Amino acid sequence: MSAVLEKVRTQGNEARYGAIRIDDVVKIYDPEGAAVMAVDHCTLDIKAGEICMIVGPSGCGKTSLLNAIAGFHDITSGAIYMDGEMLCGPGKPKADPGADRIVVFQNGALFPWKTNLENVAFGPMMQGKLSKKEIIEKARSMMADAGLSGTEHNYPGEVSSGLRRRVEIVRALMNDPKVLLFDEPYRALDSLTRSVMHESLLDIYYKNKVTIFFITHDLEEAIFLGHKLVIMTTRPCRPKKVLEVDIPHPRDYSVLTSPRFRELLEETASVVHEEARKSFASGEKEG
Amino acid sequence: MEQVERLLKRTLPFQVVSPETLDGIAEISRHEVFKAGQVIYGAGQPAEEVYVLVSGRVAHRIDPDIKARVHEKELQVGDVFGWAAILEGEKVRLADVACIEAAEVLKIDGARLLELLRKDVNFGEAALKSFSQLISQQYYLPPSVSERVPTTLSKVGDTRTPASNEAEPQTASAWTLTMYRASAWLKSPDPYLMMVGFALMLGFWYLTVEVLKLPRFEDLPGLTTVVKEWFAEDPVYGMSIYTAEYYQHIWVSIRRVAIAFLLATVLGVPLGLFLGWSRSFREYVFPVFELLRPIPILAWVPLAIIMFSGSETPVIFLTFLASFFATALNTMLGVESIDESYTRAAACLGANRWQVFKEVIVPGSMPYVFTGLQISVGVAWFSLVAGEMVSGQYGLGYVINTSYTMVRYPTIIIGMVTLGIVGYTTSAMVRVAGNYMMQWRLREMALGGR
Ligand SMILES: Nc1ncnc2c1ncn2[C@@H]1O[C@H](COP(=O)(O)OP(=O)(O)O)[C@@H](O)[C@H]1O
Ligand SMILES: [Mg+2]
Repeated sequence: MSAVLEKVRTQGNEARYGAIRIDDVVKIYDPEGAAVMAVDHCTLDIKAGEICMIVGPSGCGKTSLLNAIAGFHDITSGAIYMDGEMLCGPGKPKADPGADRIVVFQNGALFPWKTNLENVAFGPMMQGKLSKKEIIEKARSMMADAGLSGTEHNYPGEVSSGLRRRVEIVRALMNDPKVLLFDEPYRALDSLTRSVMHESLLDIYYKNKVTIFFITHDLEEAIFLGHKLVIMTTRPCRPKKVLEVDIPHPRDYSVLTSPRFRELLEETASVVHEEARKSFASGEKEG
Repeated sequence: MEQVERLLKRTLPFQVVSPETLDGIAEISRHEVFKAGQVIYGAGQPAEEVYVLVSGRVAHRIDPDIKARVHEKELQVGDVFGWAAILEGEKVRLADVACIEAAEVLKIDGARLLELLRKDVNFGEAALKSFSQLISQQYYLPPSVSERVPTTLSKVGDTRTPASNEAEPQTASAWTLTMYRASAWLKSPDPYLMMVGFALMLGFWYLTVEVLKLPRFEDLPGLTTVVKEWFAEDPVYGMSIYTAEYYQHIWVSIRRVAIAFLLATVLGVPLGLFLGWSRSFREYVFPVFELLRPIPILAWVPLAIIMFSGSETPVIFLTFLASFFATALNTMLGVESIDESYTRAAACLGANRWQVFKEVIVPGSMPYVFTGLQISVGVAWFSLVAGEMVSGQYGLGYVINTSYTMVRYPTIIIGMVTLGIVGYTTSAMVRVAGNYMMQWRLREMALGGR
């Protein structure tokens, strides 16, 4: 185990796939009518295997950017590439959603009518790549690895919210995705559960080769988890400050009290605060 | 030592024990301090010690496999936890316990604690009972856990129980849930209030019609007359539970409702699903649907008679129509109620459009579909009676109508009450079917205490 962790260090988990390039992306909702500009000429490079944390005030357009990468809606101009391949861009305004980029949703999107095991098995079942038996076996073993044994036959509504988040991540990992897209997944959790979730997320990250695109509005969470920290402007969103977090991985909770963490927090807090104030002044509502 | 005793004295299970026992417990208690964020123990670990919280804040999260009504709680100073150490059978931790803030605890060896309590002939049993109570009342665990406290002294020391105790099924079956709900219902005031409600209604009827003979009420058939007629072997007006005619009317009505309801379901659910799912389909169909829906069923009677020959089909058609609209509309609302993230998640996970329909749209709309079906049976009975009053040769609506023209007033009431009972039963059947098909929802609601 420790050998694996050694390798992780600052470089991330050595994933070779899942580099995302966001190139001058603009997203305008309802261009003919109200014309709400959510993303404004946003350019951002995310390396394969990197944890990229996006911080910005509510309603600034973070989810819009994530939805564009996931392929839930089109972009107005610009382009998004994954490993050099265009997901969307000129001539193809909307990316196709696919199992190489999986979203973990803000409020969780485990299907409440399926058991945890059925949820985890869902992706491969739909894609029909493996036999049913193989899928169930793989799902069970992945759930066991994530400490979810014994909850296979519970429905998501029967387990705690923290466990639900973990099941959802395992459901995504079942598909060997290149990128995991998190949209404020821990927002509704209490701080104790959240800290447990952070550690389990890092644990999962160290064991799987994925790139992580993680939206949050919690700066501490962002610095604690990320290799890269991107602070967005208030709507329309555009990177205002991009920062490499030079605290080596693997990290644990002692990082929170380290001097470097405090320094980074101080360095960024005023920037975030300023954007939050602008956003508040303009009466922005979250989307 | 004295301080420890004073603290123990404040905790629920140790309040009752004799001073000597308390001394003994204080002697075997060890003091320990945990830092914020530190885990005291985790579910599945062996359980050897019982804990008492002395200071600080501690979060207690029961293993989700275990059927507790509440899984997460914050412990208060003086709370006793880690009681798994004195349960009979396998002694493993049932919960994750971690410090929110730095915390001080007392650790008491479980086996030695049991020994001490066994020696306390007068109060030991009471202390153990109070442990059992604590488990069910403060940790919300079912009797299957709380009863594992060895509350009778003879049982103490017998730590081995048959393995069957351990292999309890992990998830509640539909049957146990139903039983649980039924017994909860019986324990609540609801059934007794319901009886009071019935008694009041019957009393009102009896008083106004038969005792006080109030104007406007005096011509109505009285409670006793109706009951006598209903249960008479030789009814004055020709219909009671002893006449074949009675059952024939019931049967004919049920058959009509069943046919209409099934047709409405078979056609209405798919229509609703497609209305909700496909925007272009909705744009064609929905305006027509919305125009037809508000037309009262009675307004359809002439058309029904013109279109369909005989007495049977027009009635079934009318019954069908109302059900169909209710089912289709609710199903459509059900599809609309599905959170977009579910369809998006399915798309992410590689589901194609058809798979999204089958795996997300259909099950996701089920709660609304069953609400729709319950409304649908209700309106089916409603329009059935309307139809039977106009056309038809048998059926409860027909009985009510002809009894009026033939001045058989008690029979009217018998027909009405029978309609009520049969209607209620069918709608309860739909509800049971819905619960059966939506186990996920039932379990969610049982846990939510609803
Ligand atoms: N479908 C939509 N149509 C029109 N405006 C939208 C839509 N979705 C989001 N918006 C607007 O775009 C802005 C950015 O929303 P969003 O990306 O959800 O922000 P964030 O995730 O940063 O809170 C908000 O002002 C929101 O009201
Ligand atoms: Mg958002």
